[in-house]
Amino acid sequence: MNIVDIVYNPWFSGIVGLILIGIVFVCAILAVWLERKFGADIQSRIGPNRVGGRYGILQGIADAIKLFTKEDLIPAKADRLLFVIAPIIVLGSGFMMIVAIPFGAIVIGDNVYPIAATQMDISIIYLEAVSALSVIGIFMAAYGSNNKYSMIAAFRNMARMIGYEVPLGVCILGVAVMAQSLDIVEIAKAQSPLWFVFLQPLGFVIFFIAILADMGRLPFDQNEAEEELVAGWGTEYSGLRWGLGLFGEYIHMVLGACIMVLLYLGGWNLPKFLTGIFVLGSLMPIFWFVGKVIVIVLIIIMLRWALPRFRIDQVVDLGWKVLFPLSVLNLIWAVALSLAFDMFFGA
Amino acid sequence: MMAVDIAGIGELIMFALVSTLTIIFSILVVTAKDVVRASLSLIVTLVSVAGIYVLLNAQFIGMVQILIYVGGIGVLILFAVMLTTQELKGGSDD
Repeated sequence: MNIVDIVYNPWFSGIVGLILIGIVFVCAILAVWLERKFGADIQSRIGPNRVGGRYGILQGIADAIKLFTKEDLIPAKADRLLFVIAPIIVLGSGFMMIVAIPFGAIVIGDNVYPIAATQMDISIIYLEAVSALSVIGIFMAAYGSNNKYSMIAAFRNMARMIGYEVPLGVCILGVAVMAQSLDIVEIAKAQSPLWFVFLQPLGFVIFFIAILADMGRLPFDQNEAEEELVAGWGTEYSGLRWGLGLFGEYIHMVLGACIMVLLYLGGWNLPKFLTGIFVLGSLMPIFWFVGKVIVIVLIIIMLRWALPRFRIDQVVDLGWKVLFPLSVLNLIWAVALSLAFDMFFGA
Repeated sequence: MMAVDIAGIGELIMFALVSTLTIIFSILVVTAKDVVRASLSLIVTLVSVAGIYVLLNAQFIGMVQILIYVGGIGVLILFAVMLTTQELKGGSDD
């Protein structure tokens, strides 16, 4: 049995997928901790500092235990079915995304073995499709709560979603045209000498803004808006159900950073002179990838504590009147550039 | 031979599951009292149809079905429903 048989065995892929789900869950807990600690630093507070040593790194686990032991409240006039299913859909959409994302790769010679549960021809379309499911989940939570604040949150959620899904898709099209593939592994491989962020910087900026809105991070968290909507879709949620929704959002943040690195920031590709080293050259792509993801997550967290929240009409205006035309412009640029490449350097 | 049989049975079970879901939820679309529940049932129906496409080995159409009909049309229908006038179910004492 050679290595290819092992890698493409469905049982092996299943186990890899389960391990990846565990790792992403731990990463989401760490992201919550990082956000609290980083935010505290920015605001000159101390932040979590009791559980797990001076830096409070186990705070997330303590919080999870607290959420597990809280009373499970369902409001009397809520739509029970929607209320119960909603957090499961939000979290489930994150888990469905984990299936297709390669979290780094092991490079042996010229062979690249991506660390992913599956490898599909159309994984980038799959990713965009299942990430859209979480919006339905948030809508169900907000409508099922039967609460005025949550209702406004549901409304805003839909308005923002319609505005941002289109530029996001057009940006992904630009990347797919340039890599000539819809497979996210092929897209990452295509950036071996030059990252796509240098070839289409406009596309990267639009994609970054659109995916921030997609993840519901500040300055685009109008559907949560603690100060005006009392946590929006989560107003009536408590205990474990709220925890599921929260983890769903943080998992989306980590996965969004992964997708950004894979599409624009070169994925796991190392500079040529580093890949030749015997064992290190095979394993270093993973750390290279994880390092870039951590930088992106840090930037996203920093934006949350540095920027104020926009009004919902400003956000929708930005999506339709600015980002959408610019993303179409970027698509034209990507097509023209790849045609020019083919003409001058291609076969 | 054995492996082919198992794959065939698995496909049959998946098809039975997905087609039952499609039928049940498409009936729910027309019978639901609550208009939001009707549109959510419509979304589940469309996702099940995407499952049928994937079973027919048309993965691309299946994914595009989810992308357009759930991410686009479904969200648009829910958005339009939210624009209609309707009372919160429990009255106004929240």
